[in-house]
Amino acid sequence: MKNTSKILLSVHALNKSYKELQAVDNLSFQIMEGEIFGLLGPNGAGKSTTIECLLGTREIDSGEVVLLDNTIANNSRNIFENVGVQFQDSHYPDLIKVGELCRMTAVLYKSTEDYKDLLKQFSIEKKEKKRVSELSGGEKQKLSLVLALINKPQIVFLDELTTGLDPKARRDVWSYLKLLKQKGMTIFLTSHYMDEVRYLCDRIMIINNGKEVIEGKPEIVITESGKETMEDAYLHFIGEGENNETLVHTV
Amino acid sequence: MKRLYTLFKTEMILSVREFSGVLFGLIMPVGIMFLLGALNGEKPAFDGASYTMVQQSFAAVSTIGICATGLMGIPLTIASYREKKILKHFKVTPTSPLLLLGAQFLTNLVFAILSTALVLIAALLFFDYSLIGSPLYFILAYFLVLTAIFSLGMMIASVSVNVKTANLLCTIFYFPMLFLSGATIPFEIMPKGLQVVSSIMPLTQGIKLLKYVSLDSGGGDWIKPVLILSLTALLGIIISIKTFRWE
Repeated sequence: MKNTSKILLSVHALNKSYKELQAVDNLSFQIMEGEIFGLLGPNGAGKSTTIECLLGTREIDSGEVVLLDNTIANNSRNIFENVGVQFQDSHYPDLIKVGELCRMTAVLYKSTEDYKDLLKQFSIEKKEKKRVSELSGGEKQKLSLVLALINKPQIVFLDELTTGLDPKARRDVWSYLKLLKQKGMTIFLTSHYMDEVRYLCDRIMIINNGKEVIEGKPEIVITESGKETMEDAYLHFIGEGENNETLVHTV
Repeated sequence: MKRLYTLFKTEMILSVREFSGVLFGLIMPVGIMFLLGALNGEKPAFDGASYTMVQQSFAAVSTIGICATGLMGIPLTIASYREKKILKHFKVTPTSPLLLLGAQFLTNLVFAILSTALVLIAALLFFDYSLIGSPLYFILAYFLVLTAIFSLGMMIASVSVNVKTANLLCTIFYFPMLFLSGATIPFEIMPKGLQVVSSIMPLTQGIKLLKYVSLDSGGGDWIKPVLILSLTALLGIIISIKTFRWE
């Protein structure tokens, strides 16, 4: 990472709890322009809550989030002109067609990409007149990516974009994300697939029970763990590594 | 404006595609108007009445569209948009989810007005209908009824945790009001006991008011319905704002 890079997202001492559960516990990190940053952790570790706190759809208890030089509270309008979001399990109005959904999304922004070009880039242009409910899982995820990119965002948040996709569709999505990175897009993603994380991310942060466990470049995280692969390193850091090895050995 | 228009257009297309709004909001009321008209529409409403059966029933039938949109369309769509996290998604755009709610209201408003317009055209063309009272007062009363029923619908949307609850509440509000308030079955032919039960429903009061205005009945019978409808609208709006959640 060059030192001249601009900070697009800066999170300082973020806390969020639901009743007794500390969902996000004192998280701090920064994301630089052009970077693919992966937030990892087991289910319930606080990944989605973190994303929601960053985007202001959940109120934070304490801490500071500066996104594109602004805070959501002060200037959400300007921020969201330049941010793309794909929430986990995105749903759309019943019976809506792909083209209608794209037009409806595009009209919310000042400056947009031609959605037909985007559909073509993701090779789902033939589905424009189809109902969203008729799309396959992979096509739906591609569509949610099209919608997240429709406003030419500077940074895009992708929450488990590839979960539930078949290997081919997953690889397709990877190459689109790499392409986006080449074009200078900054990407914040969460994922459960460590091969994906290894392949895509410039930097990762593993969290467990809302707390940071480790943060750094994937290769450094692997070295630190003393393991061979990203997956073993991940399991090591969330405290499941040893159990897992015993299991493998007994098998 | 362009945003609202695009969302409104999409919502309209979706409503027509979904069809239940067209069926219950447009086709059914016109059908009931034809049924009432064909039965004995052009005869006096009762012995010695100065107005016809259709003139008596018009006010009631004109509200069926309001019910279908306000107590079905609005709450079910908003509850489903909340459950599907569509409202939440609007929060991470430069606009507000209020824009989507606005488009949804507008769509239902257009449907309700279209429904009443169709009922009116059917009555005018086929059953020699004429409005006895003042058209202006009728329109004012109509919008008061619409506001009260829409705010009830909004209240259902707000208090429902999910689409299932919304569905249940809609059924509880919609069907009794549709059948017992006089919208489909004339209030006048109901047994006394049922009339008492029916009188507590806001729609019954709305129909009373519209009937009063359309027949130019005279007297002070409009005060009670206007008060009840205004109170319903006010309570509905307050409860829906207090309890509303985006997700």
